[in-house]
Amino acid sequence: MSSPQLPNYLKANRKRLALSQDEVAFLLGTRSGAKISRYERFAREPSLRTALAFEVVYKRSTSELFAGLYQKVEGEVTERAKILSERKDFGKPSSQSVRKREAFADLAAS
Amino acid sequence: MTKTLPKYPRILGIALSTRGLGFALLEGQNILADWGLKAIDGDKNNGSIARVREMIEHYEPDVLVLEDTSIKPFRRSTRIRMLTKRIIFRAEKRNVTVLLFPREQVSRTFVPDGHGTKHQIAQIIADKFSDELGFRLPPKRVPWKSEDARMDMFGAVALALMPRSFISAVLLSIPPVDREQVLRDRG
Repeated sequence: MSSPQLPNYLKANRKRLALSQDEVAFLLGTRSGAKISRYERFAREPSLRTALAFEVVYKRSTSELFAGLYQKVEGEVTERAKILSERKDFGKPSSQSVRKREAFADLAAS
Repeated sequence: MTKTLPKYPRILGIALSTRGLGFALLEGQNILADWGLKAIDGDKNNGSIARVREMIEHYEPDVLVLEDTSIKPFRRSTRIRMLTKRIIFRAEKRNVTVLLFPREQVSRTFVPDGHGTKHQIAQIIADKFSDELGFRLPPKRVPWKSEDARMDMFGAVALALMPRSFISAVLLSIPPVDREQVLRDRG
Protein backbone atom coordinates (compact mmCIF):
# COMPACT_ATOMS: atom_id res chain seq x y z
CA MET A 1 0.00 0.00 0.00
CA SER A 2 1.25 3.50 -0.74
CA SER A 3 -0.14 6.93 0.16
CA PRO A 4 -2.57 8.34 -2.41
CA GLN A 5 -0.75 10.65 -4.78
CA LEU A 6 -1.05 14.42 -4.58
CA PRO A 7 -3.79 15.88 -6.83
CA ASN A 8 -1.14 17.38 -9.10
CA TYR A 9 2.63 17.85 -9.47
CA LEU A 10 2.53 21.23 -11.18
CA LYS A 11 4.67 22.98 -8.58
CA ALA A 12 7.44 20.34 -8.68
CA ASN A 13 7.55 20.49 -12.46
CA ARG A 14 7.64 24.29 -12.51
CA LYS A 15 10.50 24.29 -10.00
CA ARG A 16 12.28 21.61 -12.04
CA LEU A 17 12.40 24.05 -14.95
CA ALA A 18 13.17 27.07 -12.70
CA LEU A 19 10.12 28.93 -14.02
CA SER A 20 8.13 31.54 -12.11
CA GLN A 21 4.34 31.39 -11.82
CA ASP A 22 4.07 34.52 -13.97
CA GLU A 23 6.19 32.96 -16.70
CA VAL A 24 4.03 29.81 -16.72
CA ALA A 25 0.91 32.00 -16.76
CA PHE A 26 2.25 33.81 -19.84
CA LEU A 27 3.05 30.49 -21.58
CA LEU A 28 -0.47 29.28 -20.82
CA GLY A 29 -2.01 32.51 -22.08
CA THR A 30 -3.54 33.54 -18.76
CA ARG A 31 -3.25 36.98 -17.21
CA SER A 32 -1.45 36.39 -13.92
CA GLY A 33 0.45 33.88 -11.85
CA ALA A 34 -2.33 33.87 -9.26
CA LYS A 35 -4.26 31.33 -11.30
CA ILE A 36 -1.17 29.09 -11.47
CA SER A 37 -0.86 29.41 -7.70
CA ARG A 38 -4.46 28.22 -7.28
CA TYR A 39 -3.79 25.18 -9.49
CA GLU A 40 -0.62 24.40 -7.53
CA ARG A 41 -2.43 24.72 -4.19
CA PHE A 42 -5.11 22.29 -5.45
CA ALA A 43 -7.68 25.08 -4.99
CA ARG A 44 -8.79 24.94 -8.61
CA GLU A 45 -8.80 22.36 -11.40
CA PRO A 46 -7.69 23.57 -14.83
CA SER A 47 -9.73 23.26 -18.00
CA LEU A 48 -8.79 20.60 -20.56
CA ARG A 49 -7.12 23.26 -22.72
CA THR A 50 -5.01 24.46 -19.78
CA ALA A 51 -4.14 20.88 -18.75
CA LEU A 52 -2.88 20.20 -22.28
CA ALA A 53 -0.89 23.44 -22.20
CA PHE A 54 0.74 22.24 -18.96
CA GLU A 55 1.64 19.01 -20.76
CA VAL A 56 3.31 21.02 -23.52
CA VAL A 57 5.23 23.27 -21.09
CA TYR A 58 6.40 20.58 -18.66
CA LYS A 59 6.79 17.78 -21.24
CA ARG A 60 4.98 15.31 -18.97
CA SER A 61 1.74 13.48 -19.72
CA THR A 62 -1.46 14.94 -18.23
CA SER A 63 -2.06 11.75 -16.20
CA GLU A 64 1.44 12.13 -14.75
CA LEU A 65 1.03 15.85 -13.97
CA PHE A 66 -2.40 15.30 -12.41
CA ALA A 67 -1.59 11.90 -10.91
CA GLY A 68 -3.83 12.17 -7.85
CA LEU A 69 -6.75 13.52 -9.85
CA TYR A 70 -6.21 10.76 -12.43
CA GLN A 71 -6.16 8.14 -9.64
CA LYS A 72 -9.44 9.53 -8.27
CA VAL A 73 -11.17 9.63 -11.67
CA GLU A 74 -9.88 6.14 -12.47
CA GLY A 75 -11.38 4.82 -9.22
CA GLU A 76 -14.73 6.45 -9.94
CA VAL A 77 -14.86 5.07 -13.51
CA THR A 78 -13.91 1.60 -12.25
CA GLU A 79 -16.77 1.69 -9.74
CA ARG A 80 -19.26 2.68 -12.47
CA ALA A 81 -17.88 -0.01 -14.78
CA LYS A 82 -18.48 -2.60 -12.05
CA ILE A 83 -22.13 -1.55 -11.87
CA LEU A 84 -22.49 -1.84 -15.66
CA SER A 85 -20.63 -5.17 -15.84
CA GLU A 86 -23.02 -6.65 -13.27
CA ARG A 87 -26.04 -5.57 -15.32
CA LYS A 88 -28.00 -8.44 -16.83
CA ASP A 89 -29.92 -6.60 -19.57
CA PHE A 90 -27.37 -6.66 -22.32
CA GLY A 91 -30.04 -7.74 -24.78
CA LYS A 92 -29.74 -10.61 -27.20
CA PRO A 93 -26.32 -12.28 -27.18
CA SER A 94 -24.48 -10.85 -30.13
CA SER A 95 -20.88 -10.06 -30.97
CA GLN A 96 -21.62 -6.45 -29.99
CA SER A 97 -23.01 -7.29 -26.53
CA VAL A 98 -20.12 -9.71 -25.88
CA ARG A 99 -17.67 -6.99 -26.82
CA LYS A 100 -19.45 -4.50 -24.55
CA ARG A 101 -19.48 -6.93 -21.62
CA GLU A 102 -15.75 -7.54 -22.10
CA ALA A 103 -15.08 -3.79 -22.13
CA PHE A 104 -16.98 -3.27 -18.87
CA ALA A 105 -15.30 -6.28 -17.23
CA ASP A 106 -11.90 -5.01 -18.34
CA LEU A 107 -12.58 -1.55 -16.91
CA ALA A 108 -13.98 -3.00 -13.69
CA ALA A 109 -10.86 -5.12 -13.19
CA SER A 110 -8.42 -2.22 -13.65
CA MET B 1 -1.63 3.57 19.86
CA THR B 2 0.35 2.14 16.97
CA LYS B 3 0.05 3.61 13.51
CA THR B 4 0.61 1.55 10.38
CA LEU B 5 2.56 3.45 7.78
CA PRO B 6 2.05 2.84 4.08
CA LYS B 7 4.82 1.03 2.20
CA TYR B 8 5.83 4.29 0.54
CA PRO B 9 4.90 6.99 3.05
CA ARG B 10 4.80 10.66 2.09
CA ILE B 11 7.78 12.14 3.94
CA LEU B 12 8.30 15.79 4.78
CA GLY B 13 11.86 16.72 5.75
CA ILE B 14 12.40 20.02 7.54
CA ALA B 15 15.83 21.57 8.13
CA LEU B 16 15.63 24.46 10.59
CA SER B 17 18.18 27.24 10.36
CA THR B 18 18.97 30.76 11.46
CA ARG B 19 17.25 32.14 8.34
CA GLY B 20 14.08 30.08 8.48
CA LEU B 21 13.73 26.58 7.11
CA GLY B 22 14.39 24.32 4.17
CA PHE B 23 11.83 21.69 3.25
CA ALA B 24 11.51 18.66 0.98
CA LEU B 25 8.59 16.37 0.29
CA LEU B 26 9.33 12.82 -0.86
CA GLU B 27 6.70 10.55 -2.24
CA GLY B 28 6.47 7.04 -3.71
CA GLN B 29 9.81 5.51 -4.56
CA ASN B 30 11.89 8.63 -3.94
CA ILE B 31 9.92 11.12 -6.01
CA LEU B 32 10.73 14.66 -5.00
CA ALA B 33 7.26 16.24 -4.97
CA ASP B 34 8.23 19.64 -3.54
CA TRP B 35 11.26 21.39 -2.13
CA GLY B 36 12.38 24.86 -1.25
CA LEU B 37 13.28 27.47 1.31
CA LYS B 38 11.11 29.59 3.56
CA ALA B 39 12.82 32.69 4.88
CA ILE B 40 11.14 33.87 8.06
CA ASP B 41 11.25 37.51 9.16
CA GLY B 42 10.38 38.77 12.63
CA ASP B 43 9.30 36.12 15.13
CA LYS B 44 11.22 33.19 13.63
CA ASN B 45 9.79 30.45 15.83
CA ASN B 46 6.13 31.36 15.44
CA GLY B 47 6.70 32.07 11.74
CA SER B 48 8.40 28.67 11.24
CA ILE B 49 5.63 26.84 13.09
CA ALA B 50 3.00 28.57 10.93
CA ARG B 51 4.85 27.49 7.74
CA VAL B 52 5.23 23.90 8.94
CA ARG B 53 1.55 23.80 9.90
CA GLU B 54 0.58 25.06 6.42
CA MET B 55 2.74 22.38 4.79
CA ILE B 56 1.30 19.61 6.98
CA GLU B 57 -2.25 20.73 6.14
CA HIS B 58 -1.48 21.02 2.43
CA TYR B 59 0.56 17.86 1.86
CA GLU B 60 -0.78 15.62 4.66
CA PRO B 61 2.55 13.78 5.13
CA ASP B 62 2.69 10.41 6.87
CA VAL B 63 6.11 11.16 8.35
CA LEU B 64 7.87 14.35 9.41
CA VAL B 65 11.65 14.17 9.71
CA LEU B 66 13.71 16.63 11.73
CA GLU B 67 17.25 16.83 13.03
CA ASP B 68 17.62 15.38 16.52
CA THR B 69 18.78 18.41 18.46
CA SER B 70 18.53 16.82 21.90
CA ILE B 71 21.88 15.01 21.84
CA LYS B 72 24.55 16.46 24.12
CA PRO B 73 26.81 18.32 23.63
CA PHE B 74 24.21 20.53 21.97
CA ARG B 75 25.21 21.65 18.49
CA ARG B 76 22.17 23.79 17.84
CA SER B 77 21.02 27.00 19.52
CA THR B 78 18.40 27.07 22.27
CA ARG B 79 15.97 28.69 19.84
CA ILE B 80 16.27 25.84 17.32
CA ARG B 81 16.00 23.20 20.07
CA MET B 82 12.83 24.82 21.44
CA LEU B 83 11.43 25.16 17.92
CA THR B 84 12.11 21.48 17.19
CA LYS B 85 10.20 20.48 20.34
CA ARG B 86 7.26 22.70 19.40
CA ILE B 87 7.12 21.31 15.86
CA ILE B 88 7.20 17.71 17.18
CA PHE B 89 4.33 18.53 19.54
CA ARG B 90 2.26 20.16 16.76
CA ALA B 91 2.93 17.35 14.25
CA GLU B 92 2.07 14.56 16.68
CA LYS B 93 -1.16 16.36 17.56
CA ARG B 94 -2.03 16.07 13.87
CA ASN B 95 -1.23 12.34 13.92
CA VAL B 96 1.94 12.71 11.85
CA THR B 97 4.74 10.29 12.78
CA VAL B 98 7.86 12.26 13.72
CA LEU B 99 11.33 10.80 13.17
CA LEU B 100 14.50 12.44 14.47
CA PHE B 101 17.99 11.79 13.16
CA PRO B 102 21.16 13.27 14.63
CA ARG B 103 23.47 15.11 12.25
CA GLU B 104 26.18 12.42 12.62
CA GLN B 105 23.80 9.64 11.53
CA VAL B 106 22.75 11.64 8.46
CA SER B 107 26.40 12.19 7.61
CA ARG B 108 27.23 8.46 8.05
CA THR B 109 24.32 7.49 5.81
CA PHE B 110 25.55 9.54 2.89
CA VAL B 111 29.32 9.36 3.45
CA PRO B 112 30.19 6.00 5.05
CA ASP B 113 33.26 7.23 6.96
CA GLY B 114 30.97 9.65 8.83
CA HIS B 115 33.13 12.67 8.08
CA GLY B 116 31.11 13.97 5.16
CA THR B 117 30.77 17.71 4.85
CA LYS B 118 27.43 19.37 4.17
CA HIS B 119 28.65 20.12 0.66
CA GLN B 120 29.57 16.46 0.01
CA ILE B 121 26.09 15.39 1.11
CA ALA B 122 24.51 18.13 -1.02
CA GLN B 123 26.58 16.95 -4.00
CA ILE B 124 25.30 13.36 -3.56
CA ILE B 125 21.72 14.64 -3.37
CA ALA B 126 22.21 16.89 -6.41
CA ASP B 127 23.45 13.85 -8.36
CA LYS B 128 20.51 11.73 -7.19
CA PHE B 129 17.94 14.38 -8.12
CA SER B 130 19.93 15.96 -10.94
CA ASP B 131 16.87 17.13 -12.88
CA GLU B 132 15.32 18.91 -9.90
CA LEU B 133 18.30 20.03 -7.82
CA GLY B 134 21.40 19.73 -9.99
CA PHE B 135 21.29 23.40 -11.02
CA ARG B 136 20.59 24.59 -7.47
CA LEU B 137 23.75 23.22 -5.87
CA PRO B 138 25.68 26.19 -4.46
CA PRO B 139 29.43 26.44 -4.93
CA LYS B 140 31.61 24.99 -2.20
CA ARG B 141 31.70 27.35 0.75
CA VAL B 142 34.84 29.37 1.31
CA PRO B 143 35.86 29.97 4.96
CA TRP B 144 35.40 33.74 4.83
CA LYS B 145 31.80 33.57 3.58
CA SER B 146 28.63 32.49 5.38
CA GLU B 147 26.81 29.36 4.30
CA ASP B 148 24.60 29.59 1.23
CA ALA B 149 20.88 29.54 2.16
CA ARG B 150 20.26 26.79 -0.41
CA MET B 151 22.15 24.35 1.82
CA ASP B 152 19.05 24.24 4.08
CA MET B 153 17.09 22.81 1.16
CA PHE B 154 19.67 20.07 0.60
CA GLY B 155 19.66 19.44 4.36
CA ALA B 156 15.90 18.93 4.23
CA VAL B 157 16.19 16.47 1.32
CA ALA B 158 18.88 14.55 3.24
CA LEU B 159 16.55 14.30 6.24
CA ALA B 160 13.60 13.24 4.07
CA LEU B 161 15.73 10.46 2.56
CA MET B 162 16.75 9.18 6.00
CA PRO B 163 13.76 6.95 6.87
CA ARG B 164 14.30 4.78 3.79
CA SER B 165 18.08 4.77 4.17
CA PHE B 166 17.59 3.84 7.80
CA ILE B 167 15.32 0.90 6.90
CA SER B 168 17.84 -0.25 4.24
CA ALA B 169 20.67 -0.01 6.78
CA VAL B 170 18.70 -2.07 9.30
CA LEU B 171 17.96 -4.67 6.62
CA LEU B 172 21.62 -4.86 5.59
CA SER B 173 22.59 -5.65 9.16
CA ILE B 174 20.28 -8.72 9.15
CA PRO B 175 21.59 -12.04 7.67
CA PRO B 176 20.28 -12.67 4.10
CA VAL B 177 17.91 -15.53 5.02
CA ASP B 178 16.24 -13.49 7.78
CA ARG B 179 16.28 -10.44 5.53
CA GLU B 180 14.05 -12.23 3.02
CA GLN B 181 11.64 -13.01 5.83
CA VAL B 182 11.66 -9.38 6.97
CA LEU B 183 11.00 -8.19 3.42
CA ARG B 184 8.13 -10.70 3.07
CA ASP B 185 6.64 -9.50 6.37
CA ARG B 186 6.89 -5.90 5.19
CA GLY B 187 4.83 -6.84 2.13
